[in-house]
Amino acid sequence: MKLYDYILSPSCYKVRLMAALTGLSLDIRPVDFHPGGEHRKAELLALNPAGSIPILEDGDLLLTESSAMLVYLAGKAAPEWLGDGTAEQSARLQQWLSFSHRLTANLGGARLHEMLLRPGDIALLQAQGVAALRELEAGLVEQGLRGMPFLASDRPTVADIACFPYVALAPDGGVSVDPYPAIRRWSRAIRALDNFIEMPGIHRLHELKPEPQIGTGKE
Amino acid sequence: MSADTTGFWTPVALSADLPSGTVIPAHTRAGSIALWRSDSGRVAASADRCPHRGMRLSYGFVRGETLSCIYHGWSYTQTGNCLRIPAHPGLTPPDTIRVATHLVEEADGVIWVAVGEPVHPPPKLEGLVALRSLTMHADVTTIEAASGAKSDETGLLKATQQYDTMWLLLSEQEQGHTLVHVLLDGDNTLGHRISASRAVESLRRCAEDLQARRSRDG
Amino acid sequence: MAKEAMLDEWYPVGLFSQVKTTAYKTALMGEPIEVSVGADGNAIVTTSGGRVLSSRVRYGHVWSSIGDPQKEIFSIPEADQPGRRFVDVGVVRVRCSPLRAVENFLDIAHFPFVHTDILGAEPHTEVQNYKVEIRDVEDEVWATQVKFYQPQAAKSASGGITTEYMYRVPAPTCSVLYKTCPPRPSEWDVITLFVQPLAEDLCDVWPWMALFDDETSMTDLIHFQQTIFLQDRSILENQIPRLLPLDPGMEIPTRADLTSVAYRRWLKRHNYTYGAQLVAQ
Repeated sequence: MKLYDYILSPSCYKVRLMAALTGLSLDIRPVDFHPGGEHRKAELLALNPAGSIPILEDGDLLLTESSAMLVYLAGKAAPEWLGDGTAEQSARLQQWLSFSHRLTANLGGARLHEMLLRPGDIALLQAQGVAALRELEAGLVEQGLRGMPFLASDRPTVADIACFPYVALAPDGGVSVDPYPAIRRWSRAIRALDNFIEMPGIHRLHELKPEPQIGTGKE
Repeated sequence: MSADTTGFWTPVALSADLPSGTVIPAHTRAGSIALWRSDSGRVAASADRCPHRGMRLSYGFVRGETLSCIYHGWSYTQTGNCLRIPAHPGLTPPDTIRVATHLVEEADGVIWVAVGEPVHPPPKLEGLVALRSLTMHADVTTIEAASGAKSDETGLLKATQQYDTMWLLLSEQEQGHTLVHVLLDGDNTLGHRISASRAVESLRRCAEDLQARRSRDG
Repeated sequence: MAKEAMLDEWYPVGLFSQVKTTAYKTALMGEPIEVSVGADGNAIVTTSGGRVLSSRVRYGHVWSSIGDPQKEIFSIPEADQPGRRFVDVGVVRVRCSPLRAVENFLDIAHFPFVHTDILGAEPHTEVQNYKVEIRDVEDEVWATQVKFYQPQAAKSASGGITTEYMYRVPAPTCSVLYKTCPPRPSEWDVITLFVQPLAEDLCDVWPWMALFDDETSMTDLIHFQQTIFLQDRSILENQIPRLLPLDPGMEIPTRADLTSVAYRRWLKRHNYTYGAQLVAQ
């Protein structure tokens, strides 16, 4: 499986994270998104005329939507990440997968503007980002009341992985995540999963590693 | 709030929103706080700034009974002393390296931080169960107007939205925002709780619309 | 803070490879400016009011000044060595003081916590003594004999090594790092941070590199450096106060911070205070 990837792209990170969590290995083909704009040049446009990344290739299968990539990876290696298959749970999953595309536009757009100087109406993007975070918070509060720590179930699913990166990186775009206790708890639960990997801007949870013994660091 | 002149208590967070081994940002009129709970369950409120290079301690991490700064790993006790500086493992940090701390009280599912030195303990919230906290972009007066009720001497406002009765503990923040802790009467079902959570979202929409109109009309 | 002393300095304002005939709008110390390329292929920098500013093309970037620079852009002799690959890492905007951005670049004690498992890892957190001086002739801050144990120091390294560094500050918002070069142990890899001050609490950071590495792809080199910088960004945006304190009192350095202490002293001596605050507040 080949992933056309940009290390700073939260959408690409969704796929890298899903692969790590499910034990799949990816053949990474780095794309010079910034400053090179490679995603908009001939070679990649031939694969994906939309000019976006990530792109996932597996034999004949070519995927250009990150949600589809998450579903594919889960289907191949760890179907428990797709929920229990009931109508209700599948619907909850789809609801949040669709929601996650809005985060790419608002929180992602704000981040691209503030950090990588891409054009955009920053005030509007940030306001939309706040509205989206409030929706996510309300959803997680209700899930919490039902005794479920994740968006669609009592265990993590592709819905959580789809929403997590842009939420965790919202501060990059000037949108604070401080006012959302349920989001904070959920984010922490994801970051504490076995085989979790970070991306630049998401720090390691050092508390998960016990205090090292005082020494000069020579082993 | 209370009639204390030497200080007062600010409700900064719900106990359920501060699990052991975690740190969160909080605010009082005395400034930004890194509110944290040690692995053994003890709550502390440290000034949200590491004296080394000014990094926010609320971005840090809790190990055992200490809070460490994410930047260089400097570790602080609950009383504010610096215990260790990882760049100098053999060094005992001098007493001069410390962070200010604030008095904390935890009761009835709510965490309170003192501004100044209050004489009395925080108000009791007997019989009430904490539901959730949320921030409204509206001031206390506007929230009172939107809910049609006033807060009492303990800072509690009884709000009734359609069929739901909720108790709101209000704490004014900067920029005209208000931190709202939602509590319910002890006897409630899952259905009540979900309904109340949605009702407070409706109240927020109301209050924020009202605030926006007030700001626009001057 | 007064900006006079820093007005006459050179600052990066764009990547030369990306400058177009249509103007790229940016700013220097609050002054709106425009960067474009003329018919002859030369860079043109003007204020938005039309005043032509001095400009240079150096190290892959367009440089300009809203004042009257009294000297040329500092030299990096290693950049002229044959066989070096030059890497334009690309701009990243940060909501912080340009001086805080430079100071973070000079710091190594944060490696195990911020660049975990890349530039450092617990328990290897000790910072051994190193040498720092303000060199009179060049009037630059230099730190030498800096050492740190790193699990994966560069794309060209195959495992953990103790990396040696030298740090250099040749201008108030620029820093050059010389790092152990795994393929050529007698040479230094050169990694720079060129910081464009937009306002006292806002800057555009332009990292650049001159490396000996014939194996790694350009994109991988760019991504590695962007990874490192992006890990620092959320630190930089959360330091209080925003302006770099140049007087003691607000912040407490230790022996690991000798480079930053010398940098602050050098800034104060020259009155380079745009992005700084004096007297503990």
